[in-house]
Amino acid sequence: MKLSTRQLTLCAVLTAMALALSYLENFFPLSLAIPIPGIKLGLANIVTLFALYALGPGQALLILVARCLLGAVFAGNMNALIFSLMGGVTAMLVMIGLSRLRHLSVYGVSVGGAAAHNCGQVAAAVLTLGNEAPLYYLPVLLGVSLFTGALTGLIAAFLFRALAHTRIWEA
Amino acid sequence: MRRFGALLAALLLAGGLTACGGEAEMQSAQVFAMDTVMILTASGGETEAALKAAEDELYRLDRELSRTRESSAVSRLNSAPEGAAEVGEELRDLIARALDFSDATGGAFDITLAPVSSAWGFTEDAYRVPAREELEELMAHVGAEHVHLGDGTAVSLDPGTQIDLGAIAKGYASDVVAAICRENGVAHSTVSLGGNVWVCGGNPEGKPWQIGIQDPARPEEADAYVGILRMSDGFAVTSGGYQRYFEEDGKLYHHIIDPATGYPAESGLTSVTVVSEGTEGSGTMCDALSTALFVMGEERALDFWRSGTFDFEAILVTEDGRLLVTAGLEDSFTPDETAGYAYEVVS
Amino acid sequence: MRMKWSPELHPNGWDALAAAVVVVLALVSGALLYTGGPGGGDLTAVVSVDGGETDRVDLAALTGSEERVYESRGYTLRVTFTESSAQVTASDCPTQDCVHTGAITRSGQSIVCLPARLIVELEGTGDTDGPDVVIG
Repeated sequence: MKLSTRQLTLCAVLTAMALALSYLENFFPLSLAIPIPGIKLGLANIVTLFALYALGPGQALLILVARCLLGAVFAGNMNALIFSLMGGVTAMLVMIGLSRLRHLSVYGVSVGGAAAHNCGQVAAAVLTLGNEAPLYYLPVLLGVSLFTGALTGLIAAFLFRALAHTRIWEA
Repeated sequence: MRRFGALLAALLLAGGLTACGGEAEMQSAQVFAMDTVMILTASGGETEAALKAAEDELYRLDRELSRTRESSAVSRLNSAPEGAAEVGEELRDLIARALDFSDATGGAFDITLAPVSSAWGFTEDAYRVPAREELEELMAHVGAEHVHLGDGTAVSLDPGTQIDLGAIAKGYASDVVAAICRENGVAHSTVSLGGNVWVCGGNPEGKPWQIGIQDPARPEEADAYVGILRMSDGFAVTSGGYQRYFEEDGKLYHHIIDPATGYPAESGLTSVTVVSEGTEGSGTMCDALSTALFVMGEERALDFWRSGTFDFEAILVTEDGRLLVTAGLEDSFTPDETAGYAYEVVS
Repeated sequence: MRMKWSPELHPNGWDALAAAVVVVLALVSGALLYTGGPGGGDLTAVVSVDGGETDRVDLAALTGSEERVYESRGYTLRVTFTESSAQVTASDCPTQDCVHTGAITRSGQSIVCLPARLIVELEGTGDTDGPDVVIG
């Protein structure tokens, strides 16, 4: 993939934003309301969603991987890497598929991505723990992803409207 | 580091041991010692005091009998100049008993295999297959005849000979715990020290304790048994190659070394359980004999049982899928049919 | 605007369908996982670290509450067991998810502490034929 300086810069800014959103999320600890490990709003998904539409799957994936790697480095927790990567990549693949269907709005794509993200994380937990106990969280996590997915979809929709007059993604 | 962690965990667990009232209720304690997790449950009498004392004793025995702790009595003997040391009454008596078991089992039980086990890496968890010449050199120093009991508490070893009480220490520990429980009037108890079990008093409902014997073919399944042994008072100890082994070039090497060859015993058995009544000292005997019978193989083991040298019963699992139980256990053992072994009662 | 793809910004029937699929998945996985487990009966709490069982507490045998301490991967967790529940009451792990989970009371439920790789699971012990001790 050959990136123009402009694209590269945009990718970097989006990666930084995704990281900032991941950090911001810590101030809204969803796990206090629903005590399940790994449960969160998934605000960073807004960036993934935006990048997917604006820049295409290749660059979106690049941003995702960079975000996961840097996030793990900043947190000093390489264990978390497998979780965020499995969740993020699963979500990415599902969202690519859903967005290509062209029938779904950002809301549907976002909900699908959130649900896939949770499936990926549960799979990572089952794999690293060598125990099927995390599976029991799956139904609840899927239910929760309806709301978190809708929320990130809503924010992304705002974002697209707000940026409609700009041309920042033009190469 | 692992030992430090285990010790820390043990200390914390000891601190976490809490009193919960109600005399008939079973209280429990966990002890991380002798490279295993020990689980003790008891009720009646001075349960709390008994469990506390048992814990302390288990840590003490771990300190004294471990070959990998430099400060242990065993290590002091192994590293003594001229191979001679005053080892204290307890260790001397234990070594004396070990030598008796070696003698009685025709050398199938042997505490002098230490350098050979180390060569295989079983002592330090650094598994490897030693060269034949290396083993031959080490085997020259193996055998009960290289251990000499001196006057008083003196014990001496021939040059090159090292002892390891690993095959008898947990059995001895179970005897010690049993004695503590009796002294404190414990009415019901189960004590499980990594393959060594002691039970007393039957369960609180007045029935015998049920002891599951692990299926050696499915060691990773917690509820896979070859059968259930019902026993109110007594010791039961299982030895099996499946408990510790490593694989190299497609071949499995387990931790029970045949003193005759220096190689893991290939006796056609996969698991041996030795059962005896709860008389004093039987725990040590069961531990030593379970290893010895495993090394002997089916035929020699059953002949040994028939000889009546020691009073015990046995459950043998063979590589070819048979489950052999000596006659004395016929009424108290129920094979688990789902395990798929051909069940035979031997007399 | 010239995006790679222009996104649809208003929810439509297809979105409802996607949401419905997620709901169905949640219900089906819930039904598969939560049925079949013994409901009542005596509970046993199983504590495992790194996928290996490290402790087993027969909750029915407890009268009051009992606290046990587990160490794993440098973290210390205090778990309180009662006749009918298990709960991580304190942990020095960074996420605190295990503490937030609160008390679990039904067979099949579990508390997971990922940083410590520790799991507390409840098992039903309706099977009275199970052995008291296992050797080997």
